[in-house]
Amino acid sequence: MSADLRVAERTADTPQPVSVVRRIWRWITRSSLTGRLTFPVVCLIVWLLAIKVVTTIWPFAVDVLPTPGQVFGFMFDEIKGDTVAPHNMYETFAISLQRLGIGMIIALVIGTIIGVAMGLSKAVNAFFNDWVVAILAMPNLAWALFCSLAFGFGDIGPTIVVVLTGVPFVIINVREGVRNTPSDLFDMARSFDVPRERVIWHVLIPSLLPFLFAAARYAFALGWKGLVVAEVFGGQDGAGWTIKFWYDAHRAYGVVGYALLFVIFALIFEKLMFDQLSKRLFKWRPSIDAADVVEARFDAAAPLPASVAAAEAGATATSAAMGSITLATSGPPHQPVDDPSPPPPAQDAPKHPRSNDHG
Amino acid sequence: MATTLSTPPQVPKRASEEDVVRAAKRKDRITTWGWRLAGYAFFLGIWELASGRLMDEKLLPGPSTVFRTFGELWATGEVPGAFATTLGRIAIGFSIAFIVGVGVGILMQNRFLNGFFRDAVTIGVTTPGLIWALLTAIIFGNRPAGPIIAIVLTTFAIITVNVSEGIKSLPKDLIDMAKSFDVGVVRRNREIVLPHLAPFIFTGVRFGFSIAWKVTVLTEVFSSSKGIGFEMRTATQLFRLDEFLTWILAFYVLALFLDKVVLETLERRFFAWRGELKS
Repeated sequence: MSADLRVAERTADTPQPVSVVRRIWRWITRSSLTGRLTFPVVCLIVWLLAIKVVTTIWPFAVDVLPTPGQVFGFMFDEIKGDTVAPHNMYETFAISLQRLGIGMIIALVIGTIIGVAMGLSKAVNAFFNDWVVAILAMPNLAWALFCSLAFGFGDIGPTIVVVLTGVPFVIINVREGVRNTPSDLFDMARSFDVPRERVIWHVLIPSLLPFLFAAARYAFALGWKGLVVAEVFGGQDGAGWTIKFWYDAHRAYGVVGYALLFVIFALIFEKLMFDQLSKRLFKWRPSIDAADVVEARFDAAAPLPASVAAAEAGATATSAAMGSITLATSGPPHQPVDDPSPPPPAQDAPKHPRSNDHG
Repeated sequence: MATTLSTPPQVPKRASEEDVVRAAKRKDRITTWGWRLAGYAFFLGIWELASGRLMDEKLLPGPSTVFRTFGELWATGEVPGAFATTLGRIAIGFSIAFIVGVGVGILMQNRFLNGFFRDAVTIGVTTPGLIWALLTAIIFGNRPAGPIIAIVLTTFAIITVNVSEGIKSLPKDLIDMAKSFDVGVVRRNREIVLPHLAPFIFTGVRFGFSIAWKVTVLTEVFSSSKGIGFEMRTATQLFRLDEFLTWILAFYVLALFLDKVVLETLERRFFAWRGELKS
């Protein structure tokens, strides 16, 4: 039996050269790494071909379509720090980052206050809920144009746009966090007479922290997009303004190059800062990561797990944030405001608070 | 003896435990709605009061002004045309994005192609719509292709992610069973694969739509001569904030209506048969 198999193997192996070619071919077509490496090559070829084709159809399009050489040359110059724009890349990103930082801090403070209130009280939740959803669904563009007209050019408009795009995410996450605080720990703390400050410090804040962290992550990813749009319309400097500068100069390679630069910038920030921070902050709870917690929440609350998968595929907070959009707009199905579930029939009357009504 | 006569009311009380719960529920709902309405009154009131007092009325037109402006704009007859243009663009772009997204999602089942498209999906999900808007504006000018390509590039990735996730979780055992009972390919796909994929596709469509309409408006701001975005740009350039707010709010309400009411109703109608999953 085994001898037969060995013979069969040997006969299969005998045409050696074919097998090698086939194995290489199989290795190429079956592995995702080669696919990943092929993608940029194919992109480059398509890019060059598109330029060729388009310029033969419309010869005047030559100066509109950027060549890869121009784009990478531009990016190299920017990274070296020599540029035609009024600020070089580093100053530009520093300006934008400053606005983003200030806006995010304001958004986190306001969002935490409202979010905690909404998580604790049904009335406050009903009061704010629709408006949070409304602000969440409003396009950045509307805020950007409005703030540029209402607050003029400068720092205030873009910062307010960051606050407005970030706040709903913070509110929703903090609310979920408050609703998720382990009530058994609170009960235990109460029965052991633990003072209030210690309960807040040791129970509430640690259980809220992952949610707050995830909120900061979303606020960063979406605030960045909002900020860029806001700077296009209402800035005098910053990343968005600079891309508009190249757009106005009609230098497509400038736009593409800058676009690549700030996608890279956002990815680096996301990977280096937030990943490191989350590792540092949540060292004490080895199994749970901030993203995991919130994703698990979305998994439980959203109708489908696909939004979670989006987070994996996108590998950034941006797509995970979309999960929180559905969460906000469709509402978690177990929201106690809308349907307080009837108590099980066997439940003791005194346990149910409303039994006081007829007691 | 008289005391025993006074006790009977207890019996109906205990029997009506459910009623009590229902009454409490109703009371709860009423207070919730009360607070919700209070929220509306509060925010609209602040908005109305702020315009003209905290900020110049030209800078922050109140809700009443917005309503009045909407009436005026409606009277000029521009509104349906602009809406139709933008909605038409969304429809075309979104259909293409849907086809591309589903196609790529199916192709991604192959490991090589999975690696190939993975970065494309990442780029599609992370790149701000602004970049695509500016790029298509430079390359295509105000040709109609610009906004459509921008929609496809920003939306397809979301549909892809959902579709490939759905395919990954296909009920293999059901398919195997169908195969071993000699169920035909067409029937197998129609009765097992499609019903399983439908909710995933629906989620993708809803996410995709919420992004697509924003990108469309953004693209129109830069590179179009009609549509909502164009009207918004004109209004801002003329410094007519009331008109600007009216345009964006009107379209925002329409988009929310399409998303929340139309798509949600469709979804409910579609998945009425799997009611137990919803709860």
